[in-house]
Amino acid sequence: MSFAVRSGLLLTIFCAGVSVVNAQDKPANHFVNNNVCRTCHPIIWSTFYKNPHFKSIASGEEPPESTGCQGCHGPGGLHAENAGGKPIISFMALPAQQVLDTCLRCHSQTLSRANIRSSQHALNGMACTSCHSIHRAQSVRALLSKPQTALCEGCHTDVRVQFAMPFKHRVEEGVISCTDCHNPHGSFAPTWRMASRPHQVDQAMANEEPCLYCHADKRGPFVFEHLGVRVDGCETCHAPHGSPNSRLLRRPVVFTLCLECHNGAGNFGRQGTGIPTQTPNHNMADSRYQNCTACHVRIHGSNADSSFLR
Amino acid sequence: MRTTILLFLMANAAAAQAPIAPSPDPAGKRIGENVRNYNIVDSFETGYRYSTVGGNDAQYRSSVNYGDGIRLLGSSLIVTSKNGHGLLFDQITLSTQGLGNDPYQSVVMRVEKNRIYRYDMSWRQNDYFNPGLVTAGGDGEHLLDTNNRMQDHNLTLFPQSNLKVFLGFSNSSQTGPAYSSIQSFDGSGDIFPLFSNVRRVWREYRLGNEFQVFGIRVNWMHGWQDFKDETGAALVTFGVPGAIPIAPETSVRLNSFQASDPNHGTNPYWRAAIFTDRKLFHVNGRFTYSGGRRAFVVDESAQGIVSSLARVQDVVTLGNAERPVATGNLNFNFTPTPKLTISNSTSVYNVRTLGNSFFSEFDSATQTTSVLFYNYLGIRTVANDTNLNYQLSPLVGFMAGYHYSDRLISTQDQFTFAGATSSSPAQQSNQLHSGAVGMRLTPWKPLSVLLSAEVGTNSHPFTPLADGDYHALTARVQYRAKSFRLLAAANANYNANSVSLTSYGSQSRAYSVSGNWTPRSQFTVDAGFNRAHTYTIGGIAYFIDPQLIQGESSIYLSNINSIYVGVRYEIRKRIDLYAGYTRVQDLGDGRATAPAGIGPAPSPFQAVQTFPVAFQSPMARVSVKINEKLRWNAGYQYYGYRADFASLLGYRANTGYTSLSFSF
Repeated sequence: MSFAVRSGLLLTIFCAGVSVVNAQDKPANHFVNNNVCRTCHPIIWSTFYKNPHFKSIASGEEPPESTGCQGCHGPGGLHAENAGGKPIISFMALPAQQVLDTCLRCHSQTLSRANIRSSQHALNGMACTSCHSIHRAQSVRALLSKPQTALCEGCHTDVRVQFAMPFKHRVEEGVISCTDCHNPHGSFAPTWRMASRPHQVDQAMANEEPCLYCHADKRGPFVFEHLGVRVDGCETCHAPHGSPNSRLLRRPVVFTLCLECHNGAGNFGRQGTGIPTQTPNHNMADSRYQNCTACHVRIHGSNADSSFLR
Repeated sequence: MRTTILLFLMANAAAAQAPIAPSPDPAGKRIGENVRNYNIVDSFETGYRYSTVGGNDAQYRSSVNYGDGIRLLGSSLIVTSKNGHGLLFDQITLSTQGLGNDPYQSVVMRVEKNRIYRYDMSWRQNDYFNPGLVTAGGDGEHLLDTNNRMQDHNLTLFPQSNLKVFLGFSNSSQTGPAYSSIQSFDGSGDIFPLFSNVRRVWREYRLGNEFQVFGIRVNWMHGWQDFKDETGAALVTFGVPGAIPIAPETSVRLNSFQASDPNHGTNPYWRAAIFTDRKLFHVNGRFTYSGGRRAFVVDESAQGIVSSLARVQDVVTLGNAERPVATGNLNFNFTPTPKLTISNSTSVYNVRTLGNSFFSEFDSATQTTSVLFYNYLGIRTVANDTNLNYQLSPLVGFMAGYHYSDRLISTQDQFTFAGATSSSPAQQSNQLHSGAVGMRLTPWKPLSVLLSAEVGTNSHPFTPLADGDYHALTARVQYRAKSFRLLAAANANYNANSVSLTSYGSQSRAYSVSGNWTPRSQFTVDAGFNRAHTYTIGGIAYFIDPQLIQGESSIYLSNINSIYVGVRYEIRKRIDLYAGYTRVQDLGDGRATAPAGIGPAPSPFQAVQTFPVAFQSPMARVSVKINEKLRWNAGYQYYGYRADFASLLGYRANTGYTSLSFSF
């Protein structure tokens, strides 16, 4: 018997054992009519018709394990007979993984959540209930526990500061939101840089960097691409959340940003011989040459000029 | 119920960074009113917003931009069927912001009927003003005063069934005047001001479907995007006979210039995905293909005088460019026990950009020139990511991951001139190896600690700024009780990308501490402090009349301190008071004045690049409940921007509003 076959058998036996143990742990319980829940939880019930989960009750066609209160909290028979307390599922007490498992019984049926189990949020121990509040939501649509911007910035405090910069994307002003660019439920690997980072950034038009959804004029394709942009993405030059510098640039002085790459050194660039320097007629002591984009106006890419002059 | 109120108040406080209006306190009952089979919760806020600006108005418009006038500052409407069996719909949610004439306006709406359809719509408008690259005292020649509008419509049929249909439409535009520059006649750099009328439109249509076969969900989407740019440009002469170059030390005059650069593009794309979530494993796969294509014509005509001689220059460029992108993903997630999760992701990307451009120029001095260009850029990346997540006990959890990427870049620059073809193909590859480890601790239920580290190395980065040998460290401690939350975080990123002739290194560190406290439902405090340190050093090379200068470094240093605090107090459930303060300050390297120029080198290279700025915004708001359906609101917000090295960029703005929020 080969090692692979033996490993497979051991794995199967192990998984089966886990399942049996789990099955033995479950107490005998049964589903009850949702009106039973209403008796002791009238406040929650009184507004539950506004909750998206009410759809399962309204349809009248879902099985008990997918309907109303017991769809999430499990069968309530013993809970009702005991006048409260266990064995109802309380999400406050569940480990993050079990919360995820419970919610995904229904909510895995959406492509935008296909990568949630391998998302950075899940890897860092966040549960669905870290952001979503089913019964005390601040937003009707996504049942977020706070307005989206406040929710994300509550943990990502460094990003919050970036949106307070003098130059920033208008997130605080409400014209765009975090989820315009990010998928908090995990995304497919980025199609720029080395397909590793940034994490949880969504893609526009099936497989493009999300910046290009709004900044479509920068998308191209161009005959003369600015290769650094196409290979490593917009964030090579720009800080996407916010910056103390105009146009979200990473440097306050434009030509220093350009010259840090265009120094002709090393094995960087298209031919691996360094990214070309300026030509000698660029006398940097002359102020007009310090404003690179005054001449190189099509810096994101051009169809007419390899130096982006037109 | 008390917890509900506390959560709501803490949320309001946490959003204190937002502009002063609209008010967060809606009028009317939160539980709404019942009308027949529907429950309606609504609130509208309308009022007058004002602003007075001193200092650099252009800078104000580029960063804040609120003006005067009557606005529908915000509105919210939620109509819900009480039994989930409405006639045409079961729920409508509608919210608006800034309608009237605010620079940032939005409408978001959802209408749905259970099991039948769900329609989502969003409309957004952003007045975008940018005076150009004026930061750090440099002159900018790229002013934009445009209006961006975006609307998205998505209709899902049978959203709760196993056979869903997706229809979508998006329409976006950018219009308005812009001011740019053109270099003409003289390749040594004569630059002329240029006015253009930006007219860009892009539309996207989407059609998709999702169904289930043998427990596996299949999702596909086909989209068509059209892009049209009909921006034209003409010379700005400012009433003088012939425009003077921006740098007027040469004897060049441009008497007329006109350019049109229409380009139309399409980007049809396909996306097909399968995914399934089972008890022990989860698998998904995705394939996408997009075939971006643009056709363009650039037509320029310039007339002027060079060294006392009349000069005519006409340029026509036409061609096509394409960028087909194909991607494939396969993600596997295995959960053998509730404590252990193993995930593996494999991705393949193939991006090819290719195009030809026929360039034809007639110049009265140099006569006719024609060149045919052909360019190719191919990027093929294969990546694999494996992560392991193990929850040892409720107190301790671990994670670890390894990532490998292999990227191959192939390029070809080719041109044909005077019957001779020159081509320069090139190819290079880069391999990334990175590993990450992390630990989660929950020693006490309200207390959680997260520690993580990542280290990676690239064999052949494409640019000096790209990741070379890098590592990142993160630590986060959170204490969360019923009415008190405290979060402290620190992260550091280091990157070294040095080669024999030059070096590039960067380090950034950020520390933050924030918290909110709600001891009573009437009182909330929200405060935080963040320090972000960035230091980069990069080798540079440049020319000084015309000697090549090498071996110098460009050093950039930024030390940003920011603080925010917000206090909310409610008096007798009738008067709501809020006061907040935000300050962001880049201290640079501590100098208060710009370094004096020494020698011929540009001053930013003579010392550390640093650009100290301060941006602050105190605010105060009062909201008074007049009756159950009416509130009166008033607020004031000050914006102050100071650039220490460029005092003309500073501004001070007093903004405020008064409004009525009502419900009916």
